[in-house]
Amino acid sequence: MMQLACPWCGYRNVSEFGYLGELLERPDPATTTPEEWRSYLYLRSNPAGRLEEGWYHRAGCRRYFEAVRDTTDNTVSETRRPAGRGGSTGGDEHAMPGEINPEGVTV
Amino acid sequence: MSTTPGPSRLPVQSGERIDRESPVRFRFNNRTFTGYRGDTIASALAANGVKVFTRSFKYHRPRGILTAGWLDPNLMVQVGNEPNVRAGHRELAEGLDVHSQDVWPSLKFDVKAVNTAIGRFLAPGFYYKTFIKPQPLWPAYEGVLKRFVHSGSIDTTTPHIEHDKTYAHPDVVVAGGGPAGMASACAAARSGARVLLVEDEHELGGHWLWSGPARREALTTLRDETLSMPNIEVLTNSVVIARYDDNWLGVIVRAEHGHERLVKVRAKSLVAAPGLVERPYVFEGNDLPGVMLMTGARRLINRYAVKPGARAVVFTANSHGDAGVEDLRRAGVEIVAIVDARRGDRVVRALGRGELQQVEISTGQVIDADLLVTAVGWTAPTSLLNMAGDRPTYSSTAARFFPTTLPDDVLATGGIAGDGDDGQMLEHASSTGREAARRAHNVLVRLASCAPTLPDDTEPLVVDDSPIEIQDLPRDRHIELFRSSTHGFVDYSEDVSSKDLFTAVREGYDSAELAKRYTTATMGPLQGKLETINAVAVIAEANATTIAETGTTVWRPPYAPTTLGALAGRALDPVRYSPMQDWHEEHGARPLVAGAWIRPESYGDPVTEVRAVREAVGIIDVTPIGKLDLQGRDVPALLERMYVNKWQKLGIGRVRYGAMCADDGVVMDDGVTGRLDENHYLMSTTSGGAAAIWEWAEELLQTGHPEWDVVCTPVTTSYASINCAGPRSRELLQRLTDVDLRPDEFGYMNVRTGSVAGVPDVVLWRIGFTGELSFELHVPAAYGLHVWEELLSVGADLGIRAVGIEAQRVLRLEKGHLIIGQDTDGLTQAFSAGLGWAVKLDKQDFSGAPELRWQKEAGPASVLVSVQPVDPAVVPPEASQIIGPRSEILGRVTSSRHSPTLGRSVCLAQLRFEHAAPGSRIRVLQPDGSVIEATVCAELAHFDPEGERARA
Amino acid sequence: MKSRDRLGNGRPSTKISGYSAAALVRQGLRKESDWPRVWRSHDMAGSYDVVIIGGGIHGLATAYYLASRHGITNVAVLDKGYLGSGGSGRNTAIARSNYLTPEGVAFYDRSLKLYENLSAELNFNIMFSQRGHMTLAHNDSSLRTMRWRAEVNKLQGIDSEVIGPEEIKKLAPPIDVSSDTRYPILGALHHPPGGIIRHDAVVWGYARGADLHGVELHQQTEVLGIETSAGQVKTVKTTRGDIATNVVVNCTAGWSSLINDMVGVRAPITTSPLQAAVTEPVKPFLDAVVVSGSLHVYVSQTARGELVFGASVDPFAQYSMRGSLDFIEGLAGNVLALMPGLSKMRLLRQWGGLCDMTPDYSPIMGTTDVDGFLVDIGWGTYGFKAGPVSGEQMAALVATGRTPALIEPFGIDRFLAGRLVGEKGAASVGH
Repeated sequence: MMQLACPWCGYRNVSEFGYLGELLERPDPATTTPEEWRSYLYLRSNPAGRLEEGWYHRAGCRRYFEAVRDTTDNTVSETRRPAGRGGSTGGDEHAMPGEINPEGVTV
Repeated sequence: MSTTPGPSRLPVQSGERIDRESPVRFRFNNRTFTGYRGDTIASALAANGVKVFTRSFKYHRPRGILTAGWLDPNLMVQVGNEPNVRAGHRELAEGLDVHSQDVWPSLKFDVKAVNTAIGRFLAPGFYYKTFIKPQPLWPAYEGVLKRFVHSGSIDTTTPHIEHDKTYAHPDVVVAGGGPAGMASACAAARSGARVLLVEDEHELGGHWLWSGPARREALTTLRDETLSMPNIEVLTNSVVIARYDDNWLGVIVRAEHGHERLVKVRAKSLVAAPGLVERPYVFEGNDLPGVMLMTGARRLINRYAVKPGARAVVFTANSHGDAGVEDLRRAGVEIVAIVDARRGDRVVRALGRGELQQVEISTGQVIDADLLVTAVGWTAPTSLLNMAGDRPTYSSTAARFFPTTLPDDVLATGGIAGDGDDGQMLEHASSTGREAARRAHNVLVRLASCAPTLPDDTEPLVVDDSPIEIQDLPRDRHIELFRSSTHGFVDYSEDVSSKDLFTAVREGYDSAELAKRYTTATMGPLQGKLETINAVAVIAEANATTIAETGTTVWRPPYAPTTLGALAGRALDPVRYSPMQDWHEEHGARPLVAGAWIRPESYGDPVTEVRAVREAVGIIDVTPIGKLDLQGRDVPALLERMYVNKWQKLGIGRVRYGAMCADDGVVMDDGVTGRLDENHYLMSTTSGGAAAIWEWAEELLQTGHPEWDVVCTPVTTSYASINCAGPRSRELLQRLTDVDLRPDEFGYMNVRTGSVAGVPDVVLWRIGFTGELSFELHVPAAYGLHVWEELLSVGADLGIRAVGIEAQRVLRLEKGHLIIGQDTDGLTQAFSAGLGWAVKLDKQDFSGAPELRWQKEAGPASVLVSVQPVDPAVVPPEASQIIGPRSEILGRVTSSRHSPTLGRSVCLAQLRFEHAAPGSRIRVLQPDGSVIEATVCAELAHFDPEGERARA
Repeated sequence: MKSRDRLGNGRPSTKISGYSAAALVRQGLRKESDWPRVWRSHDMAGSYDVVIIGGGIHGLATAYYLASRHGITNVAVLDKGYLGSGGSGRNTAIARSNYLTPEGVAFYDRSLKLYENLSAELNFNIMFSQRGHMTLAHNDSSLRTMRWRAEVNKLQGIDSEVIGPEEIKKLAPPIDVSSDTRYPILGALHHPPGGIIRHDAVVWGYARGADLHGVELHQQTEVLGIETSAGQVKTVKTTRGDIATNVVVNCTAGWSSLINDMVGVRAPITTSPLQAAVTEPVKPFLDAVVVSGSLHVYVSQTARGELVFGASVDPFAQYSMRGSLDFIEGLAGNVLALMPGLSKMRLLRQWGGLCDMTPDYSPIMGTTDVDGFLVDIGWGTYGFKAGPVSGEQMAALVATGRTPALIEPFGIDRFLAGRLVGEKGAASVGH
C-alpha cells in the first residue's frame, strides 16, 4: 500500500484517503454549452503517467488536497493544499451515499 | 507407548533437532506411527520407512520425498479438516490424523493410476481438443473430471476462528533467517535500527543447520548474537508473503494446528535474504520415490536422523553435492556410484515400479539403487524482488537469475546476490545490513520532514548521505544443467513433463507465458518456486533459444499460500445503533440492516403502527437521519450551491425542504434545513447520504469557496432523533415541553429549541414525512432513551405506540413522498423525480444547474407518478414492469404497499412521460406472468393531497 | 468502407476442424505428436485492409468474424505482449446475461448464445460450464434491484428469477443463510444459464480460427502512433514497422485511452485495476457462481478445484497491476462472511488486470469522429462475457459500414448527448 503525504498530517497509508480523480475546471454554469459541460462531467485524460488529482484525508484531518502522481507506478512527486478550482461534479467520483451497486462487481 | 526408533532412524546425529525423550504418536492413513518432537510429519514417516506419501495430480503416480521441506511438491497431505498441509514442514503433534490426499481406494493401489497408462493421450491441450462435439458431452465429462481433483477436502463446517492482525513499524525487515539474514540483521541493529527478522523454517540458521559441524559452530555464535540484540525481533515459522508499494509487507506467523496470524508491516527498508532453492533435474523417472534432492537428503540425515535409503547413486555438480556424499556415507548409506556432472557425466533415467530400483547413467551403466540424490544447482527465489518491480537477469555462467535493479528501499544479500566463501557472504550481508539501516534512517528523515507535529526539543534529523560500500559477491561457475537426454517431470504438482512443454512450443504456445498457461506448468501449489527455472530452460531449449531471451514468468503474491482465516482476521465492520436500541430489542423490534445502522423494522404489527399515527400518535426512532450543523455568515450561499432551491430568504425559526443533485442533474439527496439563529442552520440529510453530503459540503468550502465563512460540523449521532407523529402529537408533546406548540406560535415548517421532558437544548421541528401533524425532536443523545420513555409514559392515555420503519414507509407512500434511490435511480434527474417544483433555474450557480435547465427545456422522458391498481386488493411487487401492448417496457413500480388507511394498494412508479397523464390506464406485469391494470393518479399523494393534516 | 463488403460472401469460408478424440488417439500413438501450429508467425506486411489493436478476446473475435463471416481476411491483429496477455487472461471467466437494461440484456444474451456454440464453431473446447449464477441480495434495496433485473430479463426471454434463502442453500450449501449474520441474505437473483468458461481457450480458439481464415496475428508488436490525413486513418506505426491501412479498431481495454490519444479521440474512461485471486485446489464443493454486491465479492470453483475470487475495482485510477494486501484481506473477510467454513483454505495467487471504466458501466462501441478509427472499449469489468458478440458486431460494422442495432446504444456520442445507458441505474442510494 502506497503512502501519501497529506499536506497537513504527513505520510499516511493511502487507505486513509478518499479519491476524487483528475483535477477539473468547472465551467461557468450560466454560460456553458452541453458539449463543454458534459466534457467536464465525463471526459477524462486518463494518462499513463503524470496525473494531477484530488484527494481527501477521510480518516485523518478531513482536508482536501491535490497530488501529482505517476499512474504507472504510483510514485507521488508532489502533494499540495488546494488551489481553489471548485471543480467537483458532486457525486460523480465520490462514494455515493451508501451506494449499493450490484453492477459495481459486474462479473 | 512405543519409543522404538523407526527402522530408518539413525543413531544420534550432532545437530539433530528431534527430541528423543519426547515421542509423539500420530496416524497416517489410519495406521498409528511414532515420531519425536521436532520431527516433521514427513521425517517421522520416513524414519518409519514410509516411502510413498501421495499420488500425483494427473497420472496418479506414487510420489515420495523430494526436498523434505515446505516446497516439497510430493508431501501435500490432509491433516484433520485441513487440506494441502506441507508434511515436509509441519511439525508433528500428538494425535495428528494425517491422510494422503486423493487416493482411492488406497495409497498403494490407486485405480486412477490407469491415467498413467493412457497418459500418452492426456497430452497438453487434451481438454481443448476434445469433448467438442456433441456439445452436451462436456458437462458430463466435467463432472467426471471434478471427481479426479487432486487435493485435500475442506470441511465447510470448520469454525472460523478470528485471529487478530497486528501491525509493525520496524526500520529494517530482513526476510530470511539464514546466515546472511542474521548477519544483516545484526549489522543493521548495531547501526541502531530496529529490525524484524523473519524466517520460514522453525529455527534460524538456513542451510548452515545441515551443512557440517564447522558451520554449525559458527551458526551458534551468530544465532546467539542475533537473539541477544534487544532491537532485533525474530519471527520463526513465519514468512514475508508479499511486498507492496512503499514496502508495505504482509508477514504470516504460523502457529499450531495450521493457524496463522497476519502481521502488517511498514518497513523503511527491506533486506531480501531468502537463500537459494535447490532445483530438481529433468530426466525420465525423476519423480520415482527414492529420487531426491541433496538438500532433502541432508536435511533428513542431519536434522532428523533419518537414513534416506540403503544404496545410493549421487548425481553432483557442486560442492554441496560432494559434501552430501559424506553425509550419506556417515549415515550408513552405501554409495554405489557418484555421477559427476563436472566431468560430463549425466543421469539418463531412473527405473522402477512404484519406487526407484535402477539408475541409468550416460556411460550406459545401469546401476541397482533405491536412492538417487541429485545436486545439480540452484534457483533463486526472487519473488519479493519481483514484487518490488525488479525483473531479474539470467546469468548463463552461474545458471540462475540475479537481481537487476532494485528500488532504494529494497536490498538483497546471501545466495540470491551471489556466491563466494562464507566469509565473503557474511561480509556482504553485514554491509547490506548497515546500508539498509542507513537508508531506513533517511526514510525516517523524509517522513519526519512532512510531519507537522515534531516536538520542539528533539534533535533535528539529518540525512546520512554516506552510503556503505557493498562489495559485489563473486558468482561461482555453475553448469547449466536442467534436462538430461530424456524427458521427465518439470512440474511435479501439475504432472507437467518436459515433453509436454516441447509439445506446447511446437504447437505455437511458444512464449514462457503461453506455454505456462497451456500446460499449467508452475500454476500449482508451488507457484513455480521449484519448477520455473526448469520450465523456462525447457521452453528455451524447445525454441532453440536461450533462457535469457525466454525470460521468466512474473511471480505473484503471496510468496507462500496463506489461509483465508489469517487474511480475514477479525471482522471490524462497524455497526451503528441509536441510544434507544436496547428499548427496541426489549420490545420485540425486528432488526433491519440499513447500511451501517441496525433499525427497528417494526414491533410486530406495522398495520397497527400505521393506524396509531393516522388516528392517535406514534413515535419513530429516526436517529440515523444525517445532521449537519452549519454556522457562519455564508451558510445561505453554501445552501444555494448545494440545493436546487432557494435559501437566501429563509427566516429565523423557519424550515425548508430541499433536494440536491449532482452536476449531472441526478438527484442525490434530500432533506430539510432549518435556521436556528441569525448565522446558525441545521441541515438534515438521508441517513445513507449523511457522510457523503458532509464531505461534499467540506469540499465546496475547502476547494471551491475558501472565502466563505461557514463552519460545518456533523452532529448525526450527537442527537437522538424521534419523530412524534399523529393528530394527538401536539397534545402529547405539550405535556413535556416549555415550547409553545400552538399552531399560531409554532406553525408547519418551523423549528424551535427548548426543553423536553426536562432535557434542555432539544431541537423541535414541525415537519412531516408521514403526512400527519408531527414534531421531530433532536434530543442530546445521552437523553434519547429518557425522552423516548417519557413520551410513551405520558402518552399512554392518548394511544401512543412505538412505530417502526416499515410503518413509516407505508405512511410516506400513502403521502406520495419519494425515497431517493428507491423511487429514483442512478440516472434520475430532478424533473423525473417529481421535484421540478423545487428547481429554481433563475438563481445563481447550483449543483446540476445546466443539466436541469436542459432537462426542463427538453421535457423529462420519464416521470414519477402515483399509481393505483384497479383491483385494490392486488399489490404489484416493487420492481414490477409497466408494459405496453407489445410487451415493451414503459416504466416500473418503484414502491408499493397495501395502505391500511385507504384499504387499497398504492404505488409510486417511474413512467414514460407520454403514458403518465392523470387517469391513464397502465398494464403492470406480475411475477407470475399475469398482467394487472392500474390507473395513473393526478397527485403524488394518495392520501390528503392538500396536506391539511400536516398543517393542522 | 462499404465497398469492403464485396470482399466477403457473408458465410464462413472454411469449416474449422482437426481437433477430435480420434485425432488425439492418432497423435497419442505417434512417437512425437505433430499437431499443426495453433497459429502461424508472419513478417509484418506493409499494409492491411484492417488493423486491430489488441490481441485479446475482443480483437481476435473481431478478426475471426471479419474473416469467417465477411470474407475480409487481409487483417492484422497487433498485441504488445503475447495473445491474451491483458484482461482476457486475467478475468474470472464468468458469463451471464442477466443485466438490467433491455439494451444490455439483448446484447449479452447474444454473447451467451454465441458462447454456447463456440466450442463447435471454433473446433476448440472452451469448457463452458453452465452451472448457474447467483447474485445475492443482503438488503431490501438490492433485493428490489434483483427483482427489477429478473422482470426485465424475463420479458426478454432470459432465464432469471429471484429465489429465497432456502433455495440458495440448496444451490450452494457452504453459504451461511442464517438471519443473524452482519449482512443477512434475503434472496438472490438466480440465472441458470450463467457459468464459467476457460478464458485462455477462448483466446486460443479465436486466434486459431482467425489464423485458419488468413488473419495475421502479430505478438510482441507495440503500436507507437497512428497517422491520419484529412481526418482519415492512414498509417499505424509499430515497433515492427509502419502499416498502411484505412481501418483501425481499438480493442485495448485498460490501455484504450492511450490508443485513442494517438488520434485525439476523447472518451469518458478511467483506468483502474480489478484484482482477482485463486486458492489452492480442494475437492469440489461449490457448483454455482456466487456474487455478492454488498460484500463486493464473487466466487466460483473451477473443475480443478480452485476457488476463483474477484471483487470491485481498486479505489483509485492507475495503470499499475501490482495488487494490494488490502484487497486479499478484504476479500478473505468477505468470503468468510459468506462461507465461514473456508478459513483453512489457502490463497495461492493474486493478480490484477486493467479495466477501462465508463460512467454508465456500459461499453463504448462504434465509429468515432476520425474516419476509419473504430472503438470497442470501455469494457470495465465485463469484457470477457461480451467477447463473442463484440467481435461479431464490430466485424459487421467494419464490413458493412453500418452500426448494427445491437450496439447502437453504446456509441461514443451518447455522453455529450446526455444519453447514458442505465446499467449504473441499478445503483441504489441511501436508506
